[in-house]
Amino acid sequence: MSDLLDAGREKHNNSNYILEASGIDFTYSNGYKVFENVNIQLIENTFAAIIGPSGIGKSTLLRILGGFLKPDAGSVYLKGKKIQKPTSDIILIHQSIVTFPWMTAIENVMMPLKVKKVPNEIAEEKAMKYLELVGLQGFENLYPKEMSGGMRQRVAIARALAAEPTVFLMDEPFAHLDELTAEGLRQDIYNILFSPETPLKVVVLVSHNLTEVVELADQIFVLNNIPATVVANVSVTIPRPRNPRTDEFNQMLDNLYIHLTPPRVKTR
Amino acid sequence: MILAIFATTGRVFFLIFLSIITGWFLSYASVKSKLFEEIYIPLTEIFESVPVISFFPIVLMIFVINIGGIMGIELAVDFLVFTAVVWNIWMGEYQAFKTVPNEMVEVSENLNMGILQKLRYVYIPFSIPRVAANLFPSVSDGYFYIAVSEVFTVGTTQYHAFGIGSLLVEFYSKNEMNYVFYALLFQAIIVGTVIILLRKYSKYAVAKYTLDTDAPIIRRGRINVRTTTRIISTIAKNPVSRLAGYYRQRSSYRVKKEEFEKEERRFKIGKYTGYSAGIIILILILYAVVRLIISIKFNTWHELISVTPEILLYMAFDYLRVLIILFFSVIIAIFVGYYIAMHRIAEAIFVPVIQIFSSFPPPLYFPIIFGISYPFVYHYFGELYTDLYVLFLGFISTFYYVFYSYWIGIKALPSEYFDIMKNLNMGLLSKLKNIIIPGTFPYLIAGITSTINSAWGGLMIGEYWPYIVGNKSLEVSNGLMKFIDINTVNGNIAYAAWASLLLAIVVAIYSILFTKKLMDLAKKKYVAEEGIFAT
Repeated sequence: MSDLLDAGREKHNNSNYILEASGIDFTYSNGYKVFENVNIQLIENTFAAIIGPSGIGKSTLLRILGGFLKPDAGSVYLKGKKIQKPTSDIILIHQSIVTFPWMTAIENVMMPLKVKKVPNEIAEEKAMKYLELVGLQGFENLYPKEMSGGMRQRVAIARALAAEPTVFLMDEPFAHLDELTAEGLRQDIYNILFSPETPLKVVVLVSHNLTEVVELADQIFVLNNIPATVVANVSVTIPRPRNPRTDEFNQMLDNLYIHLTPPRVKTR
Repeated sequence: MILAIFATTGRVFFLIFLSIITGWFLSYASVKSKLFEEIYIPLTEIFESVPVISFFPIVLMIFVINIGGIMGIELAVDFLVFTAVVWNIWMGEYQAFKTVPNEMVEVSENLNMGILQKLRYVYIPFSIPRVAANLFPSVSDGYFYIAVSEVFTVGTTQYHAFGIGSLLVEFYSKNEMNYVFYALLFQAIIVGTVIILLRKYSKYAVAKYTLDTDAPIIRRGRINVRTTTRIISTIAKNPVSRLAGYYRQRSSYRVKKEEFEKEERRFKIGKYTGYSAGIIILILILYAVVRLIISIKFNTWHELISVTPEILLYMAFDYLRVLIILFFSVIIAIFVGYYIAMHRIAEAIFVPVIQIFSSFPPPLYFPIIFGISYPFVYHYFGELYTDLYVLFLGFISTFYYVFYSYWIGIKALPSEYFDIMKNLNMGLLSKLKNIIIPGTFPYLIAGITSTINSAWGGLMIGEYWPYIVGNKSLEVSNGLMKFIDINTVNGNIAYAAWASLLLAIVVAIYSILFTKKLMDLAKKKYVAEEGIFAT
């Protein structure tokens, strides 16, 4: 029996997917069924986005992908291995920007390394590397409250990178930044995340902002209906850097809007 | 017996009620008059940080010796309990009044409301959740001090005020243990009922009077901002109210200068109320101080000075005891508090249990514990037993302050921190060291401060307890509280008052130099909510 379970857990060992969610069902504690048979597959070097009407469960899905919530049915696999609980291989970046106010920028970034018992000198060196990568060289000794929102989000990203994860889950990471700062960070983020210096293989972004999604994503999953399921899986092949003023870009936006009709309650 | 329990409970509640009513007017005077605020708030903060025992000799002098009779004793008991319950209620109301949203104040001005109308429609309703939150520590402190102050001895005279405290002393002295158990049982029922009613009232108060907030911070699990506030209101101890200084900074209500002047002209009564109340408080304090000074003859000053080194040495002994109590309280709080905060079922069971337990005054049941355990403790620890009992009494009188404060701190941590801890697979010690303890630091400091202050109450009772059970007495070899107790009993009020005054000075200096600095540091660097940036 246990062999069967183990075989089940490792069934995707030979798959090409870095992250896979298969047949996910989930119901809130109040009895509201959010998802039914949600399937997502992501190969290496994919920047994926999840969009959908407000309240459809995008952030909940992200938490299921990260192992923070257990689905009622279905499983999440990282490189073919079933995710049972949160792991530092899949790091969640929150919608509200999270830093530790009692630690400087570099101490914030060093924290995941310290947890892994990396010697102090090496941890400091690595933390500096990630701070440089996110453009915060020279600001390492500032406390979060001495920084702007954009800088704080960069610290949070550097801290997440320092955990050296395979997957990044980003829950509306630009939602609390002003448009100008958000635009600046958006322009940097793709290069930061897929820089050869990071071990990242997949990024999953949840966002309300369709322009942002089309600007960044290679693959877009549209969630809709009640309970929600993936109603469209759109590949974005527009070459980078993407200009939101082009016809191709706007056509993609129109295409996405078609799928974002008000959610319909599924009847059986 | 039932009458005695109701008399005690009635006293506690009447004094709390009095504190609430006076607090509303004093707080209103504070937000309207800068001068009054400058006098009232620092004084309240100092009094809040000074152990109630410091008031005891003053109380005895003013009420028992000067007024005398049943009225004198009743007033002495009431005043002592009043000083135990009043400060956190006053501070809570002041903080609530200071954080009334400007828009609400403007509406009240727009409608030309008078002082009483403003109080009735704006300020008082806004302060209700905070008052409800502060009822818990006040009831707890009230019961504690009333239990020990209903009977006291000065010289050869023992004074009694009718209540459960005095009744139990009588039962213990006559060794009528059956009655003791019945009295404790009834008292437990009353305390339990009071706590359950207070919890219900807190929930009601928060549901009805708390403003909706757009605060973007989502609390851990199913707890959201409102629920957290409700929990805090339901179980909060006075340390939490001190934290409100931080919120005050975030959303303080400050009347602009022109508006302030306009207000002053329009509501002169408010200003005069403020001045009058400030002056009355100052007069009361000055009166107490003058009485203290003139009650001592000039030649006895020499004696007092000569006994000072001895007093300071006793104080050092007591500080050591307080530190030991604090050490165990903090260690238990950090681990047990964390466990309870993380486990929903444990939390649902233990939080109300500890709350009821904490409101049940240890002086009432401690003799039973002593009576049962004394032979064993004496057998294993010999003469050390007195100190062990005193430390234990201090511990059960006070550990829950730091426990609750820390637990509330954990509940108030942003949910995102818990996600990160899970995400990074942090171990228990790593979580505590990197996130939980720094994130709850302001709460810990507030809890530690209250624990230290309340530990003195435990020491006061435990260090000298003649005939605690039958012929047995509890008496430490050295201790300031014993010194005060013995001198009070011997009618040597000057010595007792002098020792209390020295203690009050040391505690106030300690509070200003140590606690306040740590609190400032906590507010400056360790406010977990500031780690969350959300527009």
